[in-house]
Amino acid sequence: MFRTCDITGLKVDTRAERLIQLNAVMAVVSLLIGVIAALLLVLTRWQVVHLLPVDWYYRVLTLHGLNALIFWIVFFEIVGLYFGSTVVLNSRMSSPKFGWLALILMVLGFLLVNATILTGNADVLMTSYAPLQAHPLYYLGVILFAVGALIGVFLFFANLLIARKERTYGDSLPLFTFGLVAAAIIATLTLASGAIIYIPTLLWSLGIIKSIDAGVYKLVWWGLGHSSQQINVTAMIAVWYLGAFLTVGGTSINEKVSRLAFVFYVIGINVASAHHLLVDPGPSPAWKVFNTSYIMYIAVLASMIHAFAVPSAVESAQRRRGFTKGLFDWLKNAPWGNPAFSAVFLSIIIFGFIGGVTGVVNGMEQTNIIVHNTLSIPGHFKGTVVGGTTLAFMGATYYLIPLIFRKKIAFFSLAKLQPWVFGLGIAVLAVSMYILGAFGVPRRHYDITFSGGPFTYTFNPATDFFWVLFALGGITAVVGALMWILIVVYSVFLGEPVRGPQDMQLQIAPPPPPKENHGFEAPGTLTLTLLFMGVFLVFLLLNWGWLAAMWEVR
Amino acid sequence: MALLPPEEGWYYKKVARDEKMWIAIALVVCLTLFFWMVVWHVYGRQNPSFTTYRTTPQEFNALTQAFIEKYKTGEMNGIPVVEPPPNSDVFLLGKMWRWEPVLVLKKGQEYRFHISSLDLLHGFSLQPVNMNFMVYPGYDYVLTFRPTSAGEFAIVCNEFCGVGHHTMIGKIIVKE
Amino acid sequence: MEEKERKTPFLQLVLDDFMFLLFLGVTIYAVSYLIWGLIELAWLSPIPAELKQSLLGGK
Ligand code: HEM
Ligand SMILES: [Cu+2]
Repeated sequence: MFRTCDITGLKVDTRAERLIQLNAVMAVVSLLIGVIAALLLVLTRWQVVHLLPVDWYYRVLTLHGLNALIFWIVFFEIVGLYFGSTVVLNSRMSSPKFGWLALILMVLGFLLVNATILTGNADVLMTSYAPLQAHPLYYLGVILFAVGALIGVFLFFANLLIARKERTYGDSLPLFTFGLVAAAIIATLTLASGAIIYIPTLLWSLGIIKSIDAGVYKLVWWGLGHSSQQINVTAMIAVWYLGAFLTVGGTSINEKVSRLAFVFYVIGINVASAHHLLVDPGPSPAWKVFNTSYIMYIAVLASMIHAFAVPSAVESAQRRRGFTKGLFDWLKNAPWGNPAFSAVFLSIIIFGFIGGVTGVVNGMEQTNIIVHNTLSIPGHFKGTVVGGTTLAFMGATYYLIPLIFRKKIAFFSLAKLQPWVFGLGIAVLAVSMYILGAFGVPRRHYDITFSGGPFTYTFNPATDFFWVLFALGGITAVVGALMWILIVVYSVFLGEPVRGPQDMQLQIAPPPPPKENHGFEAPGTLTLTLLFMGVFLVFLLLNWGWLAAMWEVR
Repeated sequence: MALLPPEEGWYYKKVARDEKMWIAIALVVCLTLFFWMVVWHVYGRQNPSFTTYRTTPQEFNALTQAFIEKYKTGEMNGIPVVEPPPNSDVFLLGKMWRWEPVLVLKKGQEYRFHISSLDLLHGFSLQPVNMNFMVYPGYDYVLTFRPTSAGEFAIVCNEFCGVGHHTMIGKIIVKE
Repeated sequence: MEEKERKTPFLQLVLDDFMFLLFLGVTIYAVSYLIWGLIELAWLSPIPAELKQSLLGGK
């Protein structure tokens, strides 16, 4: 049942390994669909081309949202959960049978959802806000997928309980697995919210329930929709720590701080779903302010802690190796030739400077008025879940290919370039979308010249320039994503096998020499984070200043 | 170590000076942001409202039609134009795929807007001011606006409401 | 050796107990977001009668 890895020395449960492989394959297939859809969307929204007809635009937008945001990410997270609760702990899979059941349900859900969308039976966008209604099979597909994923999450907890009982690790979990625990907790309540809302909605689409209240639907739906983004954030940060460890041997400079930050996520991050209801009728400002502040920003604090802890882990390890000159010698001499390292590093920068900075403005009750449902919103999450999570996951696969699929990475020089192409494309795309949104351009909109409407409106001509940037960034990102898919698919199905440590193209860094401490542990990181704080505060003030110039409303 | 259980005694390790500094700064910023939102409700002039009433599409439609009848001054491209007095209750409804009525307001005066939908969710996006609110069926969202600039403004629908969504655009005219 | 053995501090016990964290996360979310939010939606009042009266008259 076990093989011992000749590269890491870890015990690998081969039954878990098989499930990890299959879930990873599904993740890649989903991303491929998502990326093809993305290209069509970019070429439609950029009205110089305006490629798709109107019904297909919304259909493809639905397709993109579900495949990129739900299927790609969740399949990959299941990969991470199984990996982190078996291989990393030298432990076994609690129930491979249920693992197969989970996979089958998820694949069935995936097929049903994509089939209903492509046949035009679910033009409801990812959010499917009631009273908008799709075909019952669409809702059934979502439910099957969610139930499958929930089984996967429960298996993760079962694996942990077994490992704890059999004492395959000490008292405390490794930090990577601990981060996944936080992610799995959030996943539990996310998927439970999904069940609470999708089951009545399915019954409603079948005519068994008469109506679904629009406000209740949106409130509970975002308990699923936003909390799932918090799973992504948490899993991404776990991958950041993993990346720092594998690529330079970096470990958190203070495990207690990092772990506490994960607990802050567990406590505070889930209520942030309230972001999506800030300018909605219904809930009072008290509910909005308390929840949208993640219970007084406890979760934002946690993110800021991780933003320091991960780079400082890298810096501390590098300094102990002797790269002590100046503030940034450690960064200059980082393993940039390792695509996993550059992916993780770019992911941190994009997530922080684009996703994080804009996220706080979007998430404050009053400033939400100036961004809600504009193109700024997808601009923001292109910085978080695409430039952040997706890029980090792409980086992690460069280790999964040799360690789990036992294949060499094909086109290795292309792989070194890939994180840069994807990261750069997404950064340009995200920033241009954010700016277009600031000019008032709506998201999810087929034609911003309003042809056929009773009136018209012309957006500021400066938007023409940002649409060009949008197209350039979008196409570059699509190319970067396709590069990654090509590398992964070719390596896994046609690549040369890995026969032992000599075939490993990426280093697994040995631990750095024990350290001698003098004053600051990570001055370079502190400089970077202070720079971040400066940018953040300036951006915040600009937005509040802008808000103060609007019409008065109360 | 991310892949290995932490070293013995990890719990007692002292937090480094720079990490402590950073956490302190971050904590102060976080608390400030929280209280800022509360304080803005007291001193700021742009806040989502405290008032929502329960309604039904039928009731809201009846109220809007009565409102239109009362203050109607003309028509524009088939949509009634209405000029309500300052400080009054103003009704605006969204339906697939238009906003009704066209409103004529006075700069600097207050109006109690009641906004709701007859069918799906819609998005109220006032351009070029760029203020955005959600519109639900069954919920009467009460927002008290005071226009601070004059001219012609568009109400773009920015929540997906079917294939005609991109044709859903309304108008507000603000006079000096 | 024996004297050096320290009692595991409370906070570390919390950090290591993933099932407790699961409980904590689910409860806070359920109370603060879901239940509170749904109660507010359920308790919304109807449009005031005077306002309806003023537009619809006696109808
Ligand atoms: C490969 C590069 C990608 C490009 C060029 C791209 C581009 C776009 C565009 C143009 C939109 C449409 C905005 C609108 O019309 O409202 C969009 C929406 C969206 N994208 Fe992507 N995207 C990419 C990858 C991804 C990935 C990897 C994810 C998820 C992990 C993702 C998640 C989303 C979501 C959730 C939406 C919103 C859908 C909705 O409004 O219902 N995208 N993207
Ligand atoms: Cu609409």
